Amino acid sequence: MTMNKSAIQFSDVTLSYGQNINRVDVLKGISFSINTDEIVSIVGPSGSGKTSIIMLAAGLEKTSSGAIKINNEDITSLNENALSAVRRQHVGIVFQSFYLIPNLTALENVLLSLEANQKYNKDEDAIALLTEFGLAHRVHHLPSELSGGEQQRVAIARALINKPAIILADEPTGNLDEVTSKNMMQLLFDYTRKQQTALVLVTHDNDLAQQCDRIIEIKDGTIV
Amino acid sequence: MALLFNYQQWLFIHRYAVRDIRRSYKKLWIIALTLFISLLLLSLTFSIKQSLNDEIQANSKELLGGDMQISSGIKPLSGEQLQKLSNIAEVSQTVNFFTMLSKPDGGAVFTDLRSIDEHYPLYGVVQTEPAGAREKLLIETGAPAVLINENIQNQLQLKIGDELKIMNTIFVVGGVIASVPDLTNSAAFGEFAIISKREFAKFDLRAASSFMKHDTRLKIAKSDDYQRKIETVQALLEDDKSIRMRLPQDSAQSLRRIIDNFSNFLNLVSVSAMIIAGIGISNTLLSFINQRNTSIAIKKSLGFSAKTIQLIYFYEILIVLFASSILAYAVGVLSPLAANAAIPESFGISLQPSFSLLDYANVAFIGLLVVLIFSIPSLYSIPSIKAAALFRNTFQSVNLHFSVKNIAYLVILTTILVAYFVLQTRVQLLTLYYFLAFFISIGIFYSVAKLLIFALRRLPAFSNNTYKIAYRNIASKKSLAPIITISLGIGLTLLLILSFVADNLKREVVDSIPSMAPDIFFVSVNKSEKEPLEAFIKNLDVDAVMEFNPMVSAAFVSINGQSVESRVSRDNRSHWAIEGDRRISWSEFPPEDNPIVSGEWWAPGNSDQMLVSMDARIAKDLNVGVNDEITLSILGREVAGTIMNLRQVDYQGMGTNFAIMINSAFADQLPYEYVGTLKSEIPSGEIQAQVVRQFPNISAIKVDRLVSKVGAIMNKILIAVTSISLIVIVIGMIVIVSAVLVQTSLRKYNNLIYKILGVDFATILKAMTLEFAIIYFTLLSFSVSAAALASYFVVESIFTLQWQFDLGLTLMLTVSTGVVTFALILLANKNMFSPAVYPLIRNE
Ligand SMILES: Nc1ncnc2c1ncn2[C@@H]1O[C@H](COP(=O)(O)OP(=O)(O)OP(=O)(O)O)[C@@H](O)[C@H]1O
Ligand SMILES: [Mg+2]
Repeated sequence: MTMNKSAIQFSDVTLSYGQNINRVDVLKGISFSINTDEIVSIVGPSGSGKTSIIMLAAGLEKTSSGAIKINNEDITSLNENALSAVRRQHVGIVFQSFYLIPNLTALENVLLSLEANQKYNKDEDAIALLTEFGLAHRVHHLPSELSGGEQQRVAIARALINKPAIILADEPTGNLDEVTSKNMMQLLFDYTRKQQTALVLVTHDNDLAQQCDRIIEIKDGTIV
Repeated sequence: MALLFNYQQWLFIHRYAVRDIRRSYKKLWIIALTLFISLLLLSLTFSIKQSLNDEIQANSKELLGGDMQISSGIKPLSGEQLQKLSNIAEVSQTVNFFTMLSKPDGGAVFTDLRSIDEHYPLYGVVQTEPAGAREKLLIETGAPAVLINENIQNQLQLKIGDELKIMNTIFVVGGVIASVPDLTNSAAFGEFAIISKREFAKFDLRAASSFMKHDTRLKIAKSDDYQRKIETVQALLEDDKSIRMRLPQDSAQSLRRIIDNFSNFLNLVSVSAMIIAGIGISNTLLSFINQRNTSIAIKKSLGFSAKTIQLIYFYEILIVLFASSILAYAVGVLSPLAANAAIPESFGISLQPSFSLLDYANVAFIGLLVVLIFSIPSLYSIPSIKAAALFRNTFQSVNLHFSVKNIAYLVILTTILVAYFVLQTRVQLLTLYYFLAFFISIGIFYSVAKLLIFALRRLPAFSNNTYKIAYRNIASKKSLAPIITISLGIGLTLLLILSFVADNLKREVVDSIPSMAPDIFFVSVNKSEKEPLEAFIKNLDVDAVMEFNPMVSAAFVSINGQSVESRVSRDNRSHWAIEGDRRISWSEFPPEDNPIVSGEWWAPGNSDQMLVSMDARIAKDLNVGVNDEITLSILGREVAGTIMNLRQVDYQGMGTNFAIMINSAFADQLPYEYVGTLKSEIPSGEIQAQVVRQFPNISAIKVDRLVSKVGAIMNKILIAVTSISLIVIVIGMIVIVSAVLVQTSLRKYNNLIYKILGVDFATILKAMTLEFAIIYFTLLSFSVSAAALASYFVVESIFTLQWQFDLGLTLMLTVSTGVVTFALILLANKNMFSPAVYPLIRNE
């Protein structure tokens, strides 16, 4: 893996919803590039378009104009199936509300991202990762039996297990207390650095943003 | 490599689906239950039909009574023929004829009397109580014995050893017949008795021969030349046109036809049940998907394609289908054992369970088609669940998805389903019409719900709270109206149509016929006895109205030189007219109430030529007309005659009507007897008793007894048919309950809000009642009118009877269906009334 390899590249991306008088211009020409070994935070006031950028990068939303490259592949014109493929191979997502599948155990939730890539019978790898995350005793528990912090650690393990090129995290600690947040972020930083995974972190927390390699600040749909 | 990949992926889907079912089977039980019930009905149909046919096949020789049955109609085989036959095989001869059995101290029944020889039965046994009573027939000392069936025993209050008069002979009841090997209708349903051939010969019946049926049965020793012997017999009797020969494989034809028709009916009912179950499946599956839209979105965010997710859920449904179909088929296979208990002993039938992989495949395939059809619109809602929602924490429920591609799939699959049923039955057009009507009904009932919602929106709003809540529930997007109207509407309409038709037929038999029909029929009246009988009755009642017609037995042989068997198929509506011996009559003048519709009546006095007048309807079915030539076998003699005219015969009058009449001048040369009718103010039982005492050779049949017998049999059939159609309603109710269950959380939430707004419990309950009442009455107005229309058509045009609407029956059926459905809806909502609603507040 060479240095400075581009994981995400936005070129003059715009995003708008609605038509005519109902039209809302959410992003107005965004360009940036993030390398595979970079940890970047996106900050900005509420409604400025941070989540929109993450959604675009994950291929869950279509650009209105401009181009997005993931791992040097242009995803702007891909269909649903191809986007799914890009997502399962190269992108891991961490949500503010964790979003574990309620009737699957911690282990099964983590295995799911491997299974999406048709990698089966990797229980040992998943247990090892969960153990490293301090969840050895929670492997076979359902999400409803885990604390918020534990749930988020499972969610992070699920995002990391397939060693994706990019982790997209939208306010991952928004639902957690301060101490838990700190531990959580340390974990995320350590692992993304170790795996040479790019991390895009949306946060309202200034301290957290400061710990990143770079800060992209958004205001009214443009980078400032 | 690619294959291994796929295999691994299938394994994953399999494992995932199994795990999901195990953890959330409660959500799938409705699908399992509705599938199970409708597949069970289908399995039962297949299985019972199979077992019955197997039983008939296995007992075909017993049912026929031999390796070959030779029916020679009203005359026995000649001595020469018998001699030749007995050189080839063991021979047994029986004669069946109808006559009166009377108790010396009064009471008489018109009975199917069979005389048997010592070889009878060649196969199987006559079961009697006490066992072995058949032997008593062979004893020559003392009074001769007669064996009677239970119906006679009950009607005449007889016990073993009692005396019974037949013709002029006194018999002694030797035993009660439980069953005979051949499934004779009268042995099972009517009055049936057996005497010995020796006693029969003593009756010296020549004149009364018209109602006699001579049968000769052969038992051929199992050997290499079995087939050759059969052929020898066939060649031997080939030239005698009055003889019909039947082999074991032709036995129980009418029974086979009944089984066929009934299983066709059951098949249609099961597929209706399945389709309504399908509507439930589609609804349940959609809500299942909606409940899991977060999980589905998560999977999408992990990069699972919509196709994989669809496959997982479809696979789950398949597992449920597989399990339900196996269970349903297993119960189906075992059902013949239970059916045995329900089949009367007099049938002498014992069914064996029969397992056939093909039958199971059949059941599973139909289930698969229905499941496919109804899960496609639900499963295709999965692509519209967006993973992007996970970022905004907003989930919108998805709806059934109908794209052009989907609709094409649905049309293809539905066509396969319909074709599969249509191709398997002999009544293809009818089946096709049924499906058409069924799908149109679905459309109509869906529109009814939409119309109701539309009308309610247009109506001025009442400020009444109860109404407002009910209105909101019906008009909301999650309205129960469509699913209630569709799933209950079709079942109810089916039930109403069948009951209306049944009710009208029953009324005709039980009320109308007796008022028009005579009180007594006379048959087997000798030429010489006609006048004394008339005088005797005039003596009893001067005002008695009597009508006597001369009559002779005749069988159709050929039409325009072509044999009737090759010309008329078994499915022909008028096939009965050419089956065996029929009674024909004559007259010099056209009968009053039989208008001539084609040709002209003949001039009197042509004794060399047989001239024929025929029932127009039968003529149409047999495709013959005026100037065609028909050949009849009259008392063993073949006579050709020309059709001179066609009459419109009104059989409903139940006077003596004849499908075929000939010219008197020709007929007067034939030996004949009379049949007659009588209408009198004197109770028919009294007249019957007097006539039988005075004229033991004449049979006097009480019409009210006949009518009540037919009425009772019809009642049983109708109860069976309507209760089977009830299954469609039951499935409909389950579907409604499942729809309600799916909605309870939403309703709970709404009701809670109403409560918080100060609406009391009673109002909520009243609103629910009002909501149901509005939907149900809308549904009823369409259901009842559709059923009335359809049954009107069936009754007036097919049965050509007077259609009448029975308000009492309609109310009974609709009110009970409504009450049960509403009770179930309340039951499904019971959580809503319990204090468990309060955690909802804490969760909010
Ligand atoms: N479907 C939509 N139609 C119209 N406008 C939308 C739509 N989705 C999002 N928006 C608008 O886009 C803007 C950007 O939203 P986005 O969620 O990206 O903001 P954000 O920066 O993540 O805010 P926050 O910090 O509150 O999460 C908002 O003003 C929002 O109202
Ligand atoms: Mg946001």
